[in-house]
Amino acid sequence: MAYVYIPVQNSEEEVRVALDQLPRDASDILDILKAEQAPLDLWLIIAREYFKQGKTEQFRQILEEGSSPEIDEYYADVRYERIAILNALGAYYSYLGKIETKQREKEDHFILATQYYNKASRIDMHEPSTWVGKGQLLLAKGDIEQASAAFKIVLDGDRDNVPALLGQACVQFNRGRFSDSLDLYKRALQVYPNCPAAVRLGIGLCRYKLSQFEKARQAFQRVLQLDPENVEALVALGIMDLHTNETDGIQKGMENMQKAFEIYPYCAVALNYLANHFFFTGQHFLVEQLTETALAVTNHGPMKAHSYYNLARSYHSKGDYEKAGLYYMASVKEINKPHEFVLPYYGLGQVQLKLGDFKSSLSNFEKVLEIYPENCESLKAVGHIYVQLGQTEKALEILRKATRIDPRDAQAFLELGELLISSDAGAALDAFRTARGLLKKGGEEVPVDLLNNIGVLHFERGEFELAEQTFKEALGAGIWLAIMDGKIHNSHEDMQFFQQLDGDGTSVELSWDKVTTVFNLARLLEQLHDTEKASLLYRLILYKYPDYVDAYLRLAAIAKARNNIQLSIELIGDALKVDDKCPNALSMLGNLELKSDDWLKAKNTFRLASNATDGKDSYATLSLGNWNYFAAVRSEKRGSKLEATHLEKAKELYTKVLVQCPANLYAANGAGVVLAEKGHFDVSKDIFTQVQEAATGSIFVQMPDVWINLAHVYFAQGHFALAVKMYQNCLRKFYYNTDTQVLLYLARTHYEAEQWQDCKRTLLRAIHLAPSNYTLRFDAGVAMQKFSASTLQKTKRTADEVRSTVAELKNAVRIFSQLSAASSQNFHGFDERKIETHVGYCKHLLDAAKVHCEAAEREEQQNRQRLEVARQVSLAEDARRKAEEQRKFQLERRKQEDELKQVMQQEEHFERIKEQWRSSMPAPKRKDRSQAEDEDGGHSEKKRRRSGKKRKNDKGSKSRYDMDESEAEMMDDHEEMENEDATNMNDQEVETNEMNDHNGVGADNPQDFLVAAGLEDSDAEDEAVPSSTMNRRKWAWSDSDDDQPVERQPVASPNRENSTELPDSDGEIRESNKLNKDADVDDEDDD
Amino acid sequence: MGGNDDSRIRYDTKTMPSSFISILIAVKSGTGALVPLLAFLGLYALAMKLAGLKSVENAHEESIWAATWVPATDARPALLLTGSLDETVKLWRPDELVLEGTNTGHCLGVVSVAAHPSGVIAASASLDSFVRVFDVDTNATISTLEAPPSEVWQMQFDPKGTILAVAGGGSASVKLWDTATWQLVATLSVPRPEGSKPSSEKSGSSKFVLSVAWSSDGRRLACGSMDGTISIFDVARAKFLHHLEGHSMPVRSLVYSPVDTRVLFTASDDAHVHMYDAEGKSLLGAMSGHASWVLSVDVSPDGSALATGSSDRTVRLWDLSMRAAVQTMSNHTDQVWGVAFRPPGGTGVRAGRLVSVSDDKSISLYDYSGR
Repeated sequence: MAYVYIPVQNSEEEVRVALDQLPRDASDILDILKAEQAPLDLWLIIAREYFKQGKTEQFRQILEEGSSPEIDEYYADVRYERIAILNALGAYYSYLGKIETKQREKEDHFILATQYYNKASRIDMHEPSTWVGKGQLLLAKGDIEQASAAFKIVLDGDRDNVPALLGQACVQFNRGRFSDSLDLYKRALQVYPNCPAAVRLGIGLCRYKLSQFEKARQAFQRVLQLDPENVEALVALGIMDLHTNETDGIQKGMENMQKAFEIYPYCAVALNYLANHFFFTGQHFLVEQLTETALAVTNHGPMKAHSYYNLARSYHSKGDYEKAGLYYMASVKEINKPHEFVLPYYGLGQVQLKLGDFKSSLSNFEKVLEIYPENCESLKAVGHIYVQLGQTEKALEILRKATRIDPRDAQAFLELGELLISSDAGAALDAFRTARGLLKKGGEEVPVDLLNNIGVLHFERGEFELAEQTFKEALGAGIWLAIMDGKIHNSHEDMQFFQQLDGDGTSVELSWDKVTTVFNLARLLEQLHDTEKASLLYRLILYKYPDYVDAYLRLAAIAKARNNIQLSIELIGDALKVDDKCPNALSMLGNLELKSDDWLKAKNTFRLASNATDGKDSYATLSLGNWNYFAAVRSEKRGSKLEATHLEKAKELYTKVLVQCPANLYAANGAGVVLAEKGHFDVSKDIFTQVQEAATGSIFVQMPDVWINLAHVYFAQGHFALAVKMYQNCLRKFYYNTDTQVLLYLARTHYEAEQWQDCKRTLLRAIHLAPSNYTLRFDAGVAMQKFSASTLQKTKRTADEVRSTVAELKNAVRIFSQLSAASSQNFHGFDERKIETHVGYCKHLLDAAKVHCEAAEREEQQNRQRLEVARQVSLAEDARRKAEEQRKFQLERRKQEDELKQVMQQEEHFERIKEQWRSSMPAPKRKDRSQAEDEDGGHSEKKRRRSGKKRKNDKGSKSRYDMDESEAEMMDDHEEMENEDATNMNDQEVETNEMNDHNGVGADNPQDFLVAAGLEDSDAEDEAVPSSTMNRRKWAWSDSDDDQPVERQPVASPNRENSTELPDSDGEIRESNKLNKDADVDDEDDD
Repeated sequence: MGGNDDSRIRYDTKTMPSSFISILIAVKSGTGALVPLLAFLGLYALAMKLAGLKSVENAHEESIWAATWVPATDARPALLLTGSLDETVKLWRPDELVLEGTNTGHCLGVVSVAAHPSGVIAASASLDSFVRVFDVDTNATISTLEAPPSEVWQMQFDPKGTILAVAGGGSASVKLWDTATWQLVATLSVPRPEGSKPSSEKSGSSKFVLSVAWSSDGRRLACGSMDGTISIFDVARAKFLHHLEGHSMPVRSLVYSPVDTRVLFTASDDAHVHMYDAEGKSLLGAMSGHASWVLSVDVSPDGSALATGSSDRTVRLWDLSMRAAVQTMSNHTDQVWGVAFRPPGGTGVRAGRLVSVSDDKSISLYDYSGR
């Protein structure tokens, strides 16, 4: 038991005060002290005792009393004790200030502390303990430089002043000059070997900071030897253990932490580390408690940052992003420089990313990257944000960097791949495959969606086998294998099939994550034309997931491709039952309605589709545009005003689509068509060419229309050869040569190019392909008729030609007669009269041909005779000439060889005769003109006469040509005539005169038929006002079926067939997008 | 799946049940049970396959649209008969495909050819709707048939050779000609399916009859039309029995199984081949794989395989027990309009032969080895 003896004034007695029994009320003691005028050191001792007992109030009371002006006065000579009291107060307030968390009061405490120290200094400027106190105060205030100066003053006076040494060591430590700090601590220890454990702690910390971990550990352990309850040492050792990253170490570390916590529950470091530990063990409740305590007990910025970070992380992992964000933010606020503690930035970035605040998130991740420029996770996150912000280029750059830095990061490759999908499918595929390889190598399961994406990319590149393999790999075992191997067939188009299978005990399972892949596999099978299996897979999807609209749509598309419109409409109906606003389903329905000629319904459906997406669905808008285009060109009576309105509307709609989506090929094509319709061929040609180029990249874009349209433009511009090429290529490339409509265009082009035989062949092919299309037969008849007529007009023709003409005419007559007979049975919608006219005309031509034929045959006969005569004459002549030559030759020779050969004369004579006989055989045929002329005098005259006739006939024949044109026009369009008729009419006027002249020729002149045929189409003549637009006439070809009720479908639509394609590819893209999103979610969680 | 020409032994127990079914069907119908049974008992292990033997480029001057085998007679082996857009019909001697003769006389393209089971006479028909019946060996015209305004598409002689059935196009009927007198003996009209509008604009062409096929017992006749419906007739009573549903696009070719009189195979523009129970009106199966119209179908003499020719320029061989295409031949460069298995018989000819003809003007002959 310690006692203090207070001497009683003016006596030898003392008052004994038991230090552990100090009165609660300090005033009692104070009264004694004052009354007895006790020495000031006693005041100090008692105050200190109070402080030790935690009675700070009493402590303060005594010291304040002890530093009051009265005391100053009374004890004026007792300088040291007064200073000590003031310093004690200063230190006390420094401490208060240091631990105070509220800034205001902290300041107040520091101000008080400063006042006390200053007062102490006033008593004695040179008192070292005051300076040490001041130094400590400055340290507490964070004013390291001034603190250093204060300690230096002390040390300059006494270089072994231990408190100053410690203070200075602390300064150096805070300055980061750890070895200097270490030296100071060492000196302090040398000077005062029994110093408290804290000094060794400082040494340990310095060693730690200097990475001398073993020595640090020794130091800490020494501290603990001296003071087993030294929390700091425990914590420090704990940290070191934890950092060994071994199970042992971590366990030991945690034990240390726990010990520290038990000793002193308010050590922030220990709390944080414990919290960290419990975070990983998932005990979030503990984490919160510990960190909240830590926050309450510390004021140290970085420490608080850690605590907030721990809290934030806990909330983050629980999915409370709002709170997590707030705490991360708090943590970040405590950090002066991101260098000190970067993790909360990362966490904050993640949370902001999750909450969609990309800009802030980006800036946080960028801070992380400033410190760790090669941090893959952050790079990936930044890349991802750039993607979200639409800055693809930057995103690519970042992700490429990430994959370069860590070529083993499957996740980064995955992200890179997803990013590349839209821009560079090949590179995307490479990235995905690398990711797959990495995952496989790492023994991880390759996610279904990754395999799915790889499969889709292979699919899009046309690598179907690889795609199939990949999809199968993604799907693993399941009922689909049985379907793929053809072990399950289904002949019934309903779902009961699977129910039956289910009932039979076959497992019909399809987990949700595999639906997309099954769908894609089905799409692939469709592409491979294995429609049956594809249908089964779609039905499997629908059996399990009846809301999967896309599967309905595909089934509908399959039914549509098989022309089962009824089933197709039913399936769309099912899809609409799931979602009555599904724009794809509505669009397809519209398309089907158009196909079944239900125009008004179609228009309404397209409107609905368009409304369902607020007009954002390009397809619906496009379809409306097409609708208007068809409406413009279909009406039989072309109200030019109505047509213009519809065209304008169509153009407007196409433009709207192009504004929304400038890369829409179909809209561009449509715009091209409208332009062509208006006669701007060059512009439309450019457009078509570009669209064609663009369309040749993808397997999903099949745009035969643009080829046809280009061909139409060539046709309209008179480049028939090019048009033919284009039509033929189109047929081959897109239709397996099966499209009769394009064949009809081709025939028409041949017709226009006057290639009658090609025209006829093409039409026969078309008939063979579409036997029930009687229009084609009619056209074939017309082509044959035209061929015959044109052959008969030729000035020179052989009897063979004429004979084949006759045969052709007979065929034409037969065709027309058959049509005529058939029309009575109402097979087709031809006007019987029209056919009769053709039959009549052909028969007439046939009669004419007979004459021609006879004439030609006669002529040929004569020709043959003439040739024969000529040949013989020439033979004779030849022989004569040969003989002459021979004779001359012989004469010369004889002259030369006379003397020599006289003996052989007899023999030579014989030879000569032989020679003559022989040479006459292969006499070269050479016409002797004069001879032939003589022989053929009458002929040539006839010729001349005939050529004269021919010239006259020319006009007639021209009109006849025109007439044929008018015939042909029946095959095509009224429009066709406009131009021709203009000339035709003029000609006819001239002709009336000629007609009289030629009446005599009779058979040669088919004018009466001409008139009949010409008048036939009175409409056309009415319209034959000087043709305004030749262009339009030709263009109108694109729906040349106006008067062919059998084939009214607007086949040359700028957009046909895309109906199925467009929704598909949309669907698919959507699929992979879905996956992207899934992947993102995964992303958030790893840390 | 393309170009599958592996000749590995396949003995897959999992596919056995389906062949079992075909045996059951065969047994039930009482005919031809032998072949699948044999197949099942052992030969099954061999994969069926086609091997190209010979191709003749430019066999005709234009697209070849029709081909059929003229059965062997005592004097000569079976011959191949082809018809083309170039208006000629040509006879070829296998296996070298030597040109035996060229028949002219048709105008417009030749759309179909048919051979009498005796191998003595044959018929050819062209777009001008004339049928020319001629003596195969002498090319003498025996008769010229026409039944205006009905045009002529596919033709087939009945198995006994007493009737020539001709698909009558827009007349929506099949015309039956007596082969002794060459008189028209019956017109089998395709009725409109009940419920359809009596005279809509399009209906005129909807029952346009394109193709005909006789059942192997000669009691039934099937015809295919533009709208995809198939009609079955009872020939003896000249009575329409029923329609078979399933196709919605033109059926250009159909053929009855030689081993089961109930089974009918049909080829359609919808790129599918269907297999029907023609009596029970039910669709037994649908086979897809062609990329475009299936223009022609024929069944192998043993009834175990189908060959199809398509606009997609390929010839496919289908294994009926697997209902899958086992081989795809891509030697043609344009639409394949006709495929035909050579009928068995003839001296010393046991090997299976398949021929295909195409728009590319060529003829291809293949060796067919069944199981």
